[in-house]
Amino acid sequence: MDLQYLEILPRTEPLFIGMLYTIFVGIIACLVGIIVGTALLMMRNNRIWIVRFIANAYGSFIRGTPALVQILIFYYALAPLTGINIGPVTAGIMAVGFNSGAYVAEILRGGLSRIPKGQFEAAAALGLPKHKVWFKVILPQVFHSVIPLLVNEFTMVIKITPLLSTITLVELTRASQMLYNETFRPVEVLTITALIYFVICYAISHFGEVLQRRSLKFRP
Amino acid sequence: MEFDFLAIWDHRDILIAGVLTTLLISLISIPIAIILGAGTCLLRISPKRTMRWPAVAYIELMRNIPLLILIFMVFYALPFYGIRISGFTTGIICLSAYGAAYFAEIFRGGVEAVPKGQFEASRALGLKYGFYMRRVIFPQLYSYVFPPGSNIALTMIKESSLLSMITVTELTYAASDINGRTFAPVETFATIALIYWGISTLFLKLAGSTQARLGAHDSNSAIALR
Repeated sequence: MDLQYLEILPRTEPLFIGMLYTIFVGIIACLVGIIVGTALLMMRNNRIWIVRFIANAYGSFIRGTPALVQILIFYYALAPLTGINIGPVTAGIMAVGFNSGAYVAEILRGGLSRIPKGQFEAAAALGLPKHKVWFKVILPQVFHSVIPLLVNEFTMVIKITPLLSTITLVELTRASQMLYNETFRPVEVLTITALIYFVICYAISHFGEVLQRRSLKFRP
Repeated sequence: MEFDFLAIWDHRDILIAGVLTTLLISLISIPIAIILGAGTCLLRISPKRTMRWPAVAYIELMRNIPLLILIFMVFYALPFYGIRISGFTTGIICLSAYGAAYFAEIFRGGVEAVPKGQFEASRALGLKYGFYMRRVIFPQLYSYVFPPGSNIALTMIKESSLLSMITVTELTYAASDINGRTFAPVETFATIALIYWGISTLFLKLAGSTQARLGAHDSNSAIALR
């Protein structure tokens, strides 16, 4: 079979719209992930054991089940369980975000372990209230030290967005499926799709590496 | 609302077959990925540029393209070239090719952690490349490679759920099947989530006890990938 990229290329407009959609979903999901991850980190360091237990169980569940199953649960099971009827877009973004949150929590825990315990004690000794200790003293330092890893986490999020095509989100993968069903040219369409994903992920992970190198340079 | 777990129980044979297929796919593709990964790692650390670059290209490609796209490419594009393979075979090929890239990076990290002096000492003793790699360097890698390696293996078990999209009858496909018959999505997906969770927990327990026996370093491997 001969490849006919020239015939496909003028019709790739939906792919680029899908790409923008993928990036949009990725950014929102990553923000959700950072919020969930921070909450989990603080829950893990709570004094009440049941709060710690919930955070640990959540992390273990998310890391022990496939992202696809989590997305299906969010899409199919949330509405009948809670009565909240969210559309596929919200369900998808939430599922990816909550998935990412568990991993962000692990990353943040790694960052937190590098911060000396004395900082908590010093902040408490200065009479700072609990929330100020976290938000003004500890978390800024944690985030500063894990920025490169968070950038990498963003590529991970981009790499699980194709799963959202199962719940009818028209992101890059779904757009390419529609395009090759229409044109009967899966080889060309899928290689272009793969190329787009490669460029996005490679650019971001390369950026992450640059940040990592720089942060190593400025660290004693 | 009411839960109808009896409906799931009635279809337990589909679920059991799904679990077995998932485990079978993982059991075949994880060893292939480890072997391929070790081979790719040898190419990757080779001093010759012509051997190193294909390995770099392969690793970067696999790490930056979503697995689902890779599966679609193999499943939908290869038949155009007259190669017809079943979904099951496609799954094993894709999963092992995907895992191999990550294993290669892990092995490389391990080899780089071995002090340079050992390579020089081996060469000074007149050992051949193949011999000292096999008998001196690789045996030391277990402790470095094991924690992240088990993580990748677990990831591969989880990623096998993507094969439901190309109609491989593994656990997730079984769930969609049951969901289509019973219209009980909550129970069905909760059940398979619990099964996956059980498999992962069991796997991590096993890996943990093996790791303790090997005396492996506990790096923060949990953030490697999913």
